[in-house]
Amino acid sequence: MEPIKYVDELIAHYGSLGFPEYKWTVNDTAPLHRLEKPLSECVVSILVSGGVSQCSMPGFDPDARNDHRLDAIANETPEDDFQIHDSYYDHTDAEHDINCVFPITRLREFADAGEIGGVAARHWSGFMGRIYNRTKVLEESAPAFVAKLNEDAVDILLAVPA
Amino acid sequence: MGLVCRVAEEAGIATVCVSTGRDLTVQVLPPRSAFVNFPMGNNFGAPGDVERQSEIMRTALAMIHETEQAGRLIDLPYEWSGPFEYFTGRGKNTAEAAS
Repeated sequence: MEPIKYVDELIAHYGSLGFPEYKWTVNDTAPLHRLEKPLSECVVSILVSGGVSQCSMPGFDPDARNDHRLDAIANETPEDDFQIHDSYYDHTDAEHDINCVFPITRLREFADAGEIGGVAARHWSGFMGRIYNRTKVLEESAPAFVAKLNEDAVDILLAVPA
Repeated sequence: MGLVCRVAEEAGIATVCVSTGRDLTVQVLPPRSAFVNFPMGNNFGAPGDVERQSEIMRTALAMIHETEQAGRLIDLPYEWSGPFEYFTGRGKNTAEAAS
């Protein structure tokens, strides 16, 4: 089937909720950082934006706008210790198997098999959608996040938007 | 999410995005993207499908070194098990509870 046209759907959906018009970021160039060392020597961390939190933490606001909350999730967290709160996608499957959207077990398996150099000490959940104040992302939230990745000597970020 | 990837990439961390929203990804243009035509939230496939989850992650991670053109997007060849639609906030559980 053809990919869903999310831009059109979201404009209609946000409008029906009385949200202000969303100004999409449109870029025609992108940065690219080439890694010298092979994947088998790289440390990998995951970032998911689908309202995933540990059961001991408060749930994310499922209807949030402009939510810059970012949770650190220790790599050794058991895969059944998560809850999902997000009204903008169907997380029924991910509730049964967190790896559908936050593949921590798969990543650990890759490290055990030597496909990657290692799994970072921390993974991350945050940057949920509907962020209207994007300057704050670019100038504050994302640089602060990068500093934490550097603390953990992360080479590669596997990003999962949901 | 794409914006965050761009900031991380500029700071020297290589990123790859596993996306289920092709048009959204094309607009923001993260450094590297693997598009999976699955429902949002099933970015790595179905529950318990370890093989497919691993394949998607392996393909995405391989893009880190294979990508020479910034903003590259690849379309993964998988098809979901049935038709799916844009999700409007009514989950399966919600629908069951209401019926």
